[in-house]
Amino acid sequence: MNFNIRNLWSVNIGGAEIWITESLVSVWVVMLVLIAFAVVVRVKLPKFSDKPKGFQNAVEAMVEYFDRFVRTTAGEKLRFLGPWFFTVFAFILISNLSGVIFIGLLRPPTADWGVVFAFALITFILIQIMGVRYQKGQYIRAMFEPYFFSKVPNFLIFPLNLIGELARPVSLSFRLFGNILGGVILMGLVYGMLPLLLRFGLPAFLHAYFDLFAGALQAYVFTVLSLAFIGGAADTT
Amino acid sequence: MPQLMSPDAVALVFAASQIAAAIAVLNGFTVGIGQGNIGAKAIESIARQPEAKGSITSTMFISCALAETSGIYGLLISFILLFANPLLSRYLALIGA
Repeated sequence: MNFNIRNLWSVNIGGAEIWITESLVSVWVVMLVLIAFAVVVRVKLPKFSDKPKGFQNAVEAMVEYFDRFVRTTAGEKLRFLGPWFFTVFAFILISNLSGVIFIGLLRPPTADWGVVFAFALITFILIQIMGVRYQKGQYIRAMFEPYFFSKVPNFLIFPLNLIGELARPVSLSFRLFGNILGGVILMGLVYGMLPLLLRFGLPAFLHAYFDLFAGALQAYVFTVLSLAFIGGAADTT
Repeated sequence: MPQLMSPDAVALVFAASQIAAAIAVLNGFTVGIGQGNIGAKAIESIARQPEAKGSITSTMFISCALAETSGIYGLLISFILLFANPLLSRYLALIGA
């Protein structure tokens, strides 16, 4: 059984060969779903009224809930990160849930480490930027802590702090990637093992656990941990 | 080196990596203990303070996901050994097959 990422077709642009892989196509499908939802919101609500009702209520509730969530996990001054992390959360959630729809056709995009690592890398860059922006020199100084006799910067501890910092995006991405890939491989093995008749119905429980429960939980955990890391770096202790 | 090229030698590399994959996945044992501890403590604190159930539950899920990380590392290592075995291709390159 082959669980590698399939290459659907390759495009030749200026001598460079670009592979259109399976996960690239499924990323496009997820993007299409999100863009379609955005267009529906735009068309159905051309003007936001002061007294929300019906569909506008639902949309406002989502945005408000997430705004409150960001303020409680990352802090009041990092409120402007809300829209970005709402986007990340929606993308990862739809990607993880797409495993239910793509059965046997495509893999969910988050089963590709490249997709997940891109998000983790952006979180890593945000941690550094927010740390330097809000803590100024204290953030750099914290890399050399604890000091010798609380005065001399400790150059021996610096490599350890650096590794701890670099391990963050790796652990953040591996958590999500391993969960989704584990689900994909386990379900692939179960589908390969069962006779054709039993393939309908029985794996539904596995889909409920690996795609719906673990997928939603991991999307939530990724967002919460990113926000907590950024909040911790931006906060002066 | 004829004995290195034999199918038995390749089978040995295969078998060793399958056993290694099984050992790598064994660390789910410790993750199970850790997650059991988290669940037990969460139930204890819900029993003590039922009104804080919502925040305890969400914190519990985050802690569970954090504790799961080391298990996921082992799982990934075993997947690599099973489906994208780097040892086998290295061995084949070594003997020039």
